Amino acid sequence: MTIERFFIALVVGLVILVMLMLIRVFKGPSVYDRLNGMGVIGTDAILVLVILGFLSGREDMYVDIAISYSILGFIGLVVIAKYLEGKGGEGR
Amino acid sequence: MKIVAVILLLGGFFFTAVAAIGVLRFPDFYTRLHASGKADTMGTFLSLLGLAVYEGLSLVSIKIVLIAVFVFIANPIGTHVLSKAAYRSGVKPWTKKGGS
Repeated sequence: MTIERFFIALVVGLVILVMLMLIRVFKGPSVYDRLNGMGVIGTDAILVLVILGFLSGREDMYVDIAISYSILGFIGLVVIAKYLEGKGGEGR
Repeated sequence: MKIVAVILLLGGFFFTAVAAIGVLRFPDFYTRLHASGKADTMGTFLSLLGLAVYEGLSLVSIKIVLIAVFVFIANPIGTHVLSKAAYRSGVKPWTKKGGS
């Protein structure tokens, strides 16, 4: 019973960290800062998904969603970074 | 077993919080990438390991360990690709003398 409260506190803390990353995404000087912040948000979202699966009691479904989310986030990061290579600079 | 899981989850949350503060506060793009590339990977690995210990031995815990191994490989690769793209497009590193 108490470990559910611990999980809820962990989810709240991770959501606060995602809000802090959104500050960096909105005011980052270059476009790579924004991409870096989005990558950290994706990594935190995997943790939030798995913990929410344990809280709701259907962890087998949420773990599959977390696997596909991590793979798609990694592929998106690499593709956008290769697209922006040599294009962007300071102040964009 | 539950105590080990709680200790691993708290350690993982500590590393993730340190990564978030570093990305928010460091003065340069490359130092921010340093914070997110190492501390965030370690925090995610520890947290997923704690959740796998809490679950016990089943298919779900094997899938969680698979996610942990994938993040442990893929997050430094993403950091490397991002750093190379930023260096080729001329983002200057921060020095103590010249400012940003």
